[in-house]
Amino acid sequence: MASRFWTQGGSDTEEEESDFEDEIENVGAAETTGTAAGSRYLQANASDSDDSDGQKRVVRSAKDKRFEEMTVTVDQMKNAMKINDWVSLQESFDKINKQLEKVMRVTESDRVPNLYIKCLIMLEDFLAEALANKEAKKKMSSSNHKALNSMKQKLKKNNKQYEELINKYRENPESEEDKHEDEDEDEESDGSGSEFEDPSQLGESTDEEDETEEPDDDAADGAWEKKLSKKDKLMDREFKKDPSEITWDTVNKKFKEVVAARGRKGTGRFEQVEQLTFLTKVAKTPAQKLEILFSVISAQFDVNPGLSGHMPINVWKKCVQNMLVILDILVQYPNIVVDDMVEPDENETQKGADYNGTIRVWGNLVAFLERIDNEFFKSLQCIDPHTREYVERLRDEPMFLVLAQNVQEYLERVDDLKSAAKVALRCVELIYYKPQEVYDAMRKLAELSEAADGEKDCDEPKVEESRGPSAFVVTPELVSRKPTFPENSRSLMDILVSLIYKNGDERTKARAMLCDIYHHALFDEFSIARDLLLMSHLQDNIQHMDVSTQILFNRAMAQVGLCAFRVGLIAEGHGCLSELYSGGRVKELLAQGVSQSRYHEKTPEQERLERRRQMPYHMHINLELLEAVHLICAMLLEVPNMASNTLDSKRKIISKTFRRLLEVSERQTFTGPPENVRDHVMAATRALCKGDFQKAFDVINSLDVWKLLRNQENVLEMLKAKIKEEALRTYLFTYCSSYESLSLDQLTKMFDLTEAQTHSIVSQMMINEELHASWDQPTRCIVFHDVEHSRLQALAFQLTEKLSVLAESNERAVEARIGGGGLDLPLRRRDNQEYAAGPAAVGGRWQDFTFTQGRQGTSGRSGYSAGGRPLALGQAAAAGYSRDRSGKSRGTGGYYGRTGSGMRGSQMDASARMVSLNRGVRG
Amino acid sequence: MASYDLTPQIAPNLDRHLVFPLLEFLQERQLHPDEQILKAKIELLNKTNMVDYAMDIHKSLYHTDDVPQDMIERRAEVVARLKALEDAAAPLVSFLQNPNAVQELRADKHYNLQMLNDRYQIGPDQIEALYQYAKFQFECGNYSGAADYLYQYRALCTNSERGLSALWGKLAAEILMQNWDIALEELNRLKEIIDSKSFSSPLNQVQSRIWLMHWSLFIFFNHENGRTQIIDLFNQEKYLNAIQTSSPHLLRYLATAFIVNKRRRPQFKDFIKVIQQEQCSYKDPITEFLTCVYFYYDFDGAQKKMRECEEVILNDPFLGKRVEEGNFSTVPLRDEFLENARLFIFETYCRIHQRIDMGVLAEKLNLNYEEAERWIVNLIQNSKLDAKIDSKTGTVLMEPNHPNVYEQLIDHTKALQGRTYKLVSQLLEQAQAPAQAAR
Repeated sequence: MASRFWTQGGSDTEEEESDFEDEIENVGAAETTGTAAGSRYLQANASDSDDSDGQKRVVRSAKDKRFEEMTVTVDQMKNAMKINDWVSLQESFDKINKQLEKVMRVTESDRVPNLYIKCLIMLEDFLAEALANKEAKKKMSSSNHKALNSMKQKLKKNNKQYEELINKYRENPESEEDKHEDEDEDEESDGSGSEFEDPSQLGESTDEEDETEEPDDDAADGAWEKKLSKKDKLMDREFKKDPSEITWDTVNKKFKEVVAARGRKGTGRFEQVEQLTFLTKVAKTPAQKLEILFSVISAQFDVNPGLSGHMPINVWKKCVQNMLVILDILVQYPNIVVDDMVEPDENETQKGADYNGTIRVWGNLVAFLERIDNEFFKSLQCIDPHTREYVERLRDEPMFLVLAQNVQEYLERVDDLKSAAKVALRCVELIYYKPQEVYDAMRKLAELSEAADGEKDCDEPKVEESRGPSAFVVTPELVSRKPTFPENSRSLMDILVSLIYKNGDERTKARAMLCDIYHHALFDEFSIARDLLLMSHLQDNIQHMDVSTQILFNRAMAQVGLCAFRVGLIAEGHGCLSELYSGGRVKELLAQGVSQSRYHEKTPEQERLERRRQMPYHMHINLELLEAVHLICAMLLEVPNMASNTLDSKRKIISKTFRRLLEVSERQTFTGPPENVRDHVMAATRALCKGDFQKAFDVINSLDVWKLLRNQENVLEMLKAKIKEEALRTYLFTYCSSYESLSLDQLTKMFDLTEAQTHSIVSQMMINEELHASWDQPTRCIVFHDVEHSRLQALAFQLTEKLSVLAESNERAVEARIGGGGLDLPLRRRDNQEYAAGPAAVGGRWQDFTFTQGRQGTSGRSGYSAGGRPLALGQAAAAGYSRDRSGKSRGTGGYYGRTGSGMRGSQMDASARMVSLNRGVRG
Repeated sequence: MASYDLTPQIAPNLDRHLVFPLLEFLQERQLHPDEQILKAKIELLNKTNMVDYAMDIHKSLYHTDDVPQDMIERRAEVVARLKALEDAAAPLVSFLQNPNAVQELRADKHYNLQMLNDRYQIGPDQIEALYQYAKFQFECGNYSGAADYLYQYRALCTNSERGLSALWGKLAAEILMQNWDIALEELNRLKEIIDSKSFSSPLNQVQSRIWLMHWSLFIFFNHENGRTQIIDLFNQEKYLNAIQTSSPHLLRYLATAFIVNKRRRPQFKDFIKVIQQEQCSYKDPITEFLTCVYFYYDFDGAQKKMRECEEVILNDPFLGKRVEEGNFSTVPLRDEFLENARLFIFETYCRIHQRIDMGVLAEKLNLNYEEAERWIVNLIQNSKLDAKIDSKTGTVLMEPNHPNVYEQLIDHTKALQGRTYKLVSQLLEQAQAPAQAAR
């Protein structure tokens, strides 16, 4: 049986074997052929001599026998793999190990046969696959599962011995292809393990094959698929044999045939790619070559069928190369137009290179480019960021940028600016998150690798061309293979972004704007980033956009917050970040990890979706730094605020998150030394509450996230100054009742501030009526006034306040019923106007929801202490306060809607209620 | 001082003709070399039809009597074109000059057009010609003629786009003729259109607003009520946003207006915040003065800034307008500004002090001791300041200002009654209405 197969072994194609799949008894034999054929084939290739087993087998029959045994076992294993039967797989594995010993004994060498190594690799891959596929794992029977686990252990132990060999084998390009092929096949349920060898043959030797191989037309076979492949072969050979006879028609016919087979069951995806690649070489006209190249790329996209996995990296690279060739052709023949709207004429591509009119070819460059980018993104998502592989993969980025730049250039030349904008966006999205250092590194890498690649590149295509004996349409490299980067990433961004603003559609523009904002924020240009955000109205309508844009918005907000902190705008920074943290799902909002929620189980579907939109690791915003910044901002705002209203617990709370954390930490009986960011900030808070700025700063300074900042010293300096200021304020708030007067000198000494600073801070507090005191200029002292209300008075004030709240709620209730408009109280009207004006104004909304924190803080505070002020003002302040509250929750609600995937119901409801109330008032 | 010159920022937002007054002013102040300014003037005139004027400047610039050939050619061309336009518009112009005929016009635009067409054979072409003619007149520097024709054109035109540009032209002409009252009217009309009109793009609208604000500077700093009106206009949310986004230098004028005006405190606080926010995009001594006084409470700094402000005001074409009185000229705005700025400082200073040394105070106010004392006494007498002077120690003592708790309480609750009353009456009304309907 086997020998019969051997005679025809040369004509191996995977269809052949897959065809035999169902015939169980044949399987073993067929597989034998598969593997043996491989070696036989190698043997035929005298040049490939590193495979020792083939030759030795001929010499010694004992060894031969052992080998055969082994191959049989391997086949059994393959079968077991196909049906996912780990129990039998385990048995086979044990068996093969025993056989190995025998083989080794027989061959009397210490060299482990390649067959075995191959088998190990196959097993390893399959195991990884199985482990990754959790669903399937769940479905497994318990015995199977157990076998899987023990297999895992065994394999690990076993493979360690052969690690070197395995790696060597893997590094070998042929075997790498095997591996990928393997993965792919395993993904499809009907994929046959036996296929795994063929692509390598195909990949490396479609061309040589025909020269070296004996024709075996006479080989009999029944499978129609085989016939087809036979025909392919024939066709190919036909092409080879007499290049002059190849006509456009034959190529076209063949091309149609191959394309028609696409997606059909049993069509090898790799094989199709190879066939098409071959056809590009024999294409008669540039247009035809183009057409076929488009199909090649489509076929390459097909290689990975699943949504979750990514395209094999080498296929991706080839894909990029193909795109570049397409561009070469397009540049060389400007009369060829790529279009996906019109169905082109059947024989359009027949027109040769000398044809002058326009030739239409079906295709969509932008869609291809976007797909390539998506695949790149996906691969980065999938690869473990802590491996070398990830870094290697990142190095491919300039490659993509070259392509994008060329496509963009081409599109601009043909005046398709809309598409050019889309392409530009892809570039922007690769660049916007890079600080200047990373950008420089990328630039350098691009230059370096291009220098090295340049030579290699020159060789490679040549080799390819020369291998294909009949590349009829030779395409010179016209488009540059080297990306051009300006010195400064900002200037690059500016160029791209302005192109997009001019020509892009809404979504493209919005995304570009967000990237732009992010980039500005990254470069510490807070005011520009803020203005862009304000002018674009993005925060108004981001909730109507798709999730990934929302994520981008969140990222931009986070970055703007960090930027505000770095430049010392604490209140603004807090405004940007607090919303992100109030839900406790930062990870999810920034797409930097999946957060588990206790209360609400996600469906697998949701989980998968979420996983798919994760940011690759290198784009992450450091969460620890973010948290530290957020908490420190909150601390700086909240601590003096708490100190100023110790007596009144229901007063304005600036950061609820911070308060909650503080409560938790206060509840602890013993406080250990700080460990995480939170502990540090809490420890600093405790020190700050006592006015001990030095200790507070030291604690915060000891955080190690600061080394992530570029201008660490400046930021820490700023932070220290801020802490001093707030410590001073806190101190004054807390202890003002214990002093009759306090000299400026003493204060300056206590808090290590300059006189002017101290004076300015204290004066501010006086003006805002936070501190009931005034300066005594000749002696340079602060004199405190005793304006404490008596118990009765305080209660009376509380009562009046409650009354006005009551009146207000009555009015609201009535207005909601009647439809409003009736009550023309001057105060209320003003509020409504302001509300109405808010959204209409360019910057109104933004100010509402971020700057308000700071501003409302002061207005709220002054409202509170308005007790000591002229009467009319007191009331205005109270009303203003209530307005602030509603205004803020409105802002919050809006933001929530925007940020999440619309899942924070409760807050949404609350804010919706507020809004509708307001609306009632308005209407 | 030239660094605070805003002409380069302002000029792009003005009409060509409106830039002349600015250049004249600069020439007078001699901030820049004369030659540069003259060159700039010729540059400006190149695109207008005021060729004679350009020739004069050319002569004075190069001290020759020769005039370049292209100017002479241009002159001939302009004259020819003027003739042609005049002819085209002649029927309508003669109609409009006939008072009897004009009486026949009514408020109804359609009727008018119909009538003109039927009885005088004046069709849309002639009306269009009138517009072109008016425009040409304006270009030639004949502003009063242009203003008249544009006025009449507006009565007849049907194209709203054209009407709008006619209005702009009219405004420019009125400004250049210094008819401030009429200009103000036109300004308000224009503002209404800009605010109401659904512009093709928000960007366009913002741009129009910015132009309007720039043009209005001429009016507001010359009109008697201008200083309050400038706040009314600029401090509107939409206009303030336009300023913040595209032309923060206008903050100088708004700030000055705020300082010169004593009233309008509620908006003032917000305005300080705006200035604070825009610090990174625009600052000059005037805005810095405000931040010093109201944000940092740095009175020494404010002092310094005040001195700088004086310079800025003197060198600003809008703020530094001179009034000739007898044989010496004054800048009224400067005096007002300084007076008010001093008051600002003092007021804030007093709010946070309970005892101030008169000597220090005098120094802070840029006055000598005597003057300072007199000034404070004045303030106290006008009951603007609740303070006493202790002349023995040479200090001012502020009266503590703690409102009575009971008064506060009463005030808190006083409004409640009115509100409740109103609420009830409204409820009753509401209840009665359906009852009546049912009856």
